[in-house]
Amino acid sequence: MVDKRELEAEIFDLIGYMTSSARNLMDETPLYGPFRLVDAASRLIAILEEAGVESPRLASLRHEIDQGKYSVTATPAELKTFLDALVDRFVDHLDPDESPEF
Amino acid sequence: MDLYTAIRGRRSVRCFAPQPVERAVLERVVEAAVWAPSGGNAQTWRFVIVTERARIAKLKTVSPGLLGDPAAVVAVCQDLAQARAKGSTLGETLLAPCDAAMAAQNLLLAAYAEGLGTCTIASFTHRAVTRLLKLPEGVEPILLVSVGTPDETPKAPPRNKEGVVHWEVYGG
Repeated sequence: MVDKRELEAEIFDLIGYMTSSARNLMDETPLYGPFRLVDAASRLIAILEEAGVESPRLASLRHEIDQGKYSVTATPAELKTFLDALVDRFVDHLDPDESPEF
Repeated sequence: MDLYTAIRGRRSVRCFAPQPVERAVLERVVEAAVWAPSGGNAQTWRFVIVTERARIAKLKTVSPGLLGDPAAVVAVCQDLAQARAKGSTLGETLLAPCDAAMAAQNLLLAAYAEGLGTCTIASFTHRAVTRLLKLPEGVEPILLVSVGTPDETPKAPPRNKEGVVHWEVYGG
């Protein structure tokens, strides 16, 4: 498990990614917006896992994101299909029984 | 390697194996870049080769398009002050970015011929990269190119052919 200093550094990097993404998206293709959002979600889950906060549903969502996020480089229709499936998967996992216990 | 093989085989790689790339190899691929054509033979491109892990990590923080953990990042820059001096407004606004792109393509193909993976990145925060790389006034980062040993083999996206190439006149 990471200590607080490492965790702060990981979160700092994530904030840098999100902040610079926000700036760049002002000038970039709108398709990059959804990509950056789900990529940030994946990075957040990875940070939480390293910090010991993990669950099957978070791992499942991260896996799904990482498998399909580059569909942004394919076609808008493919990206949309990927995001629809991701939302479906999220709803599948809404059952609180799957929440981790601390 | 046959040139057409390199052109068709190169992919944008965003997942790299944790292996360093020899300095001599990086020197060769950047040497290939400076053999690119440039408008009016201006050659106002500048290259900053970054291999320090900590510096690459900082670049990643301000470059959303810089994905994976490459062994090196080459910042393809342009001395826009010189580009303007040599080529006037056209030199600064059109030729400089075109020249940088042609140099980058040489770099990508040379790296592929060396067995390396690359990705061209325009999604980065210019002012932050300028500061991190200590670029002098007038020198602007145009593209970042990640370089490393590929840890994936992306499939080729389909190429649009319909309506792309025209003979003699548009629509011909």
